[in-house]
Amino acid sequence: MRMNAVSLRLPRPFISDHPLPWLLPLIAILVVFALYPFFYNIWLSAHEFIPRKRGLDFVGFDNWVKLFADPRMWNALWVTLFYTGVCLAIEVTLGMAIALLIDSDDPGFGILRGLLTLTLVIPPAITGMMFLLMEDAQFGIIAAFLGDVGLIAPQTAILAEPSLALWGVVVADVWQWTPFMVLIFVAGLRALPSDPYESAMIDGASGWQTFYRLTLPMMGKVIAIAVLIRGIDLFRMFDYVFVMTSGGPGTATYTLSLYAWQQTFSFIKWGYGATISLFALFIVLLVAHLFVSLTKVRW
Amino acid sequence: MNNGDRKLYLASVVDRYVRGQIDRRAFLRTAGKLGLGAGMLGVSSLVPFGGRGGFISPAAAQTIQYSDDMTAWLKETAKPFAGQTVRLATESTPPSNAINSALKPYFEEATGIKVEIEVLPLEQVLQKLTLDVASGLGTYDLYYLDQSWMASFSGDVIDPREKYAAKPDLAMPNYNFDDFLPALVDGISMYDGIMVGVPYDIPIFIQMYRKDVYDELGLKVPATMGEFLANAQAIQKAKGPSIYGTTGQMKSGHYSLECDWTAWLWGHGGSVFGPDGKFAGNDDQGLAAIAYWQKLKENMPSGVTSWTWDGQGQSVGQGLAGQVLSWGEFFPSWDNPESSKVSGLMEAAVPPKADALRTVSETGYGEIPGVGHQGGSSLAVSKYSKSQDAAWLFAQWATAQETQVYITVLGGGTGPTRSSVYDDARVKANAKPGIAGTTRHLDAVRETIANHMGSEPDLPEWAEISNDTIPVELGRFWAGEYDSPKAVMDSIKDKVDGIIAG
Repeated sequence: MRMNAVSLRLPRPFISDHPLPWLLPLIAILVVFALYPFFYNIWLSAHEFIPRKRGLDFVGFDNWVKLFADPRMWNALWVTLFYTGVCLAIEVTLGMAIALLIDSDDPGFGILRGLLTLTLVIPPAITGMMFLLMEDAQFGIIAAFLGDVGLIAPQTAILAEPSLALWGVVVADVWQWTPFMVLIFVAGLRALPSDPYESAMIDGASGWQTFYRLTLPMMGKVIAIAVLIRGIDLFRMFDYVFVMTSGGPGTATYTLSLYAWQQTFSFIKWGYGATISLFALFIVLLVAHLFVSLTKVRW
Repeated sequence: MNNGDRKLYLASVVDRYVRGQIDRRAFLRTAGKLGLGAGMLGVSSLVPFGGRGGFISPAAAQTIQYSDDMTAWLKETAKPFAGQTVRLATESTPPSNAINSALKPYFEEATGIKVEIEVLPLEQVLQKLTLDVASGLGTYDLYYLDQSWMASFSGDVIDPREKYAAKPDLAMPNYNFDDFLPALVDGISMYDGIMVGVPYDIPIFIQMYRKDVYDELGLKVPATMGEFLANAQAIQKAKGPSIYGTTGQMKSGHYSLECDWTAWLWGHGGSVFGPDGKFAGNDDQGLAAIAYWQKLKENMPSGVTSWTWDGQGQSVGQGLAGQVLSWGEFFPSWDNPESSKVSGLMEAAVPPKADALRTVSETGYGEIPGVGHQGGSSLAVSKYSKSQDAAWLFAQWATAQETQVYITVLGGGTGPTRSSVYDDARVKANAKPGIAGTTRHLDAVRETIANHMGSEPDLPEWAEISNDTIPVELGRFWAGEYDSPKAVMDSIKDKVDGIIAG
């Protein structure tokens, strides 16, 4: 191999055994797109854009003080955590149930699994628009159906009711992302060994016992990875609320990402927006670290 | 056939084509005989209703042919700038869409100047302009300026009147600044004695109603706020819930909710600010406005609290509302028989008279009370631009009488900012019911601008106050989170005064 490389007269870095030349492109990408923005954000959080001066002023820890005293931020954090928890619970449960149903080699199930990827290729903003229309009090099929079966009053504007709006957004998320969980779980289920199941069958275990005692423990790591990936994704949810509710009614669906975006881009408070983003990052890192430790996920 | 007759004949041909009285082939044949080029044949078909940008009529686009004078002036004046590029970041508005999709090739061909237009959501326009002025890089040569940003950007642009006087070799003949509607110049272009930009577009609240419903119920066009409410109640009682008394754009946290609020506030003698610069929406007039709005809402579809102007426009277009006080630029789309259920059924009128109206001196930050809430914009040349002269040529062309006429007849629903455009024969020729891109609402628009226009205050904090503080708290009110109008207005006062105090 080395002989071939020399004979081609490649530059020295391309024939080096040292890992550095091979890692450099990745390091460069990391520095440009992750480390620099991260440290710039930290710097920015100690400054604020002053429109009249057309520049940034040093404000020290003012943005952090403001952050912890800001009831809108705490509300947004609560909404984000609630939304993340609810969506995760539904998507994991539904995802596992559907995965168990379609974990089969019978004809047609392969196509069924392929069809599940369809929702994943739709941009979330488009999904938001679809559900915005479907949940509309006058034009929406979901609102009409729920009204007909008596679950809500006829012609209820789901996304304008404080008690319903977040659930209206959850429905869109669950519809789009449950198939993602299904695909991960199906992949996990199909990789499970068959021996324990044969033993369970011989011992006369029921379906529930088999699931609870065998499938669930053996799928633990897969579930943990799926929850971690999806949880991080859910925590930074922006598209659905931006399109469907603008954070309303009032602040009922204001997520942390939407609030950070609004402060940064609508009100040109770059320093405060950066502070909210950093705070969100710290929470994600903290929760992810705790989760990884508790579930003993090995990377 | 002289030029004027030819244009009128063209308008008639377009009208027949839009009505389906002649087919596309016959239309093109006739247009060809009139000497039209084929440059506009590739113009896109109807754009679905979205934002406040409206649609572009492909038939009307094929009638575009600038005067020889305009072409000759552009060719001669632009010679030194051929090959330069001018950039504009703009919201999706009727003039920007018409220029970007149909008119721009003409300017580029005549001048050799390349034009790049970025059509963005309003908040992204603000962000890009803020970055541009903060860096002083001059990435954008032209600024699309919402009327509420005049205070913020007044120091970053070139006063167009000064430019016109200082560079006579670049001054468009007969450009005529006096042709711009005076109320608009004051309301959307001036700040502290500086003309920040040239009046570009004027979306404004007018009254629009279903004539068939009015005739059936024997209603007359409301002249007062009380009559507007009474008509809404009468329609609701007789036709609801298939047709509601009125409709709204009351989505929580959205600027559209603030727009509706100001119309009712001003219409009841209130104002956002008092002369002391403090929030005044919680005074007696402000509370009367909310009480009125509550009664009005009883006659609206329940979905209004989840609709911005998009939903409001669609609700009327789908025949759900008997009357509305809203953006006049909706009107042409409602007359489009292909996308509307109320084509030919709507009529336009000036807004109902305010119960009382504060003077500018009784308000703060240059706020001008008036039931006809306006959301106008200006086009300005950046003082950081490296192609200022080329940009100035484009700005003149884009706001010239001839261009505004084409923008208007293309059907996007624009409110022209020049007086002469309202009187132009081509514009008047389109003032017919039941055709896409009708201009028959423009008389009401013009009168509203002159006598009923309301303008929001000018202060740097207004973007936050109007896009967040007020619509979020009003959204909470409509969602039942406040006990009373007084509670929500007091809460808004605390927040707004706090923001201004820093």
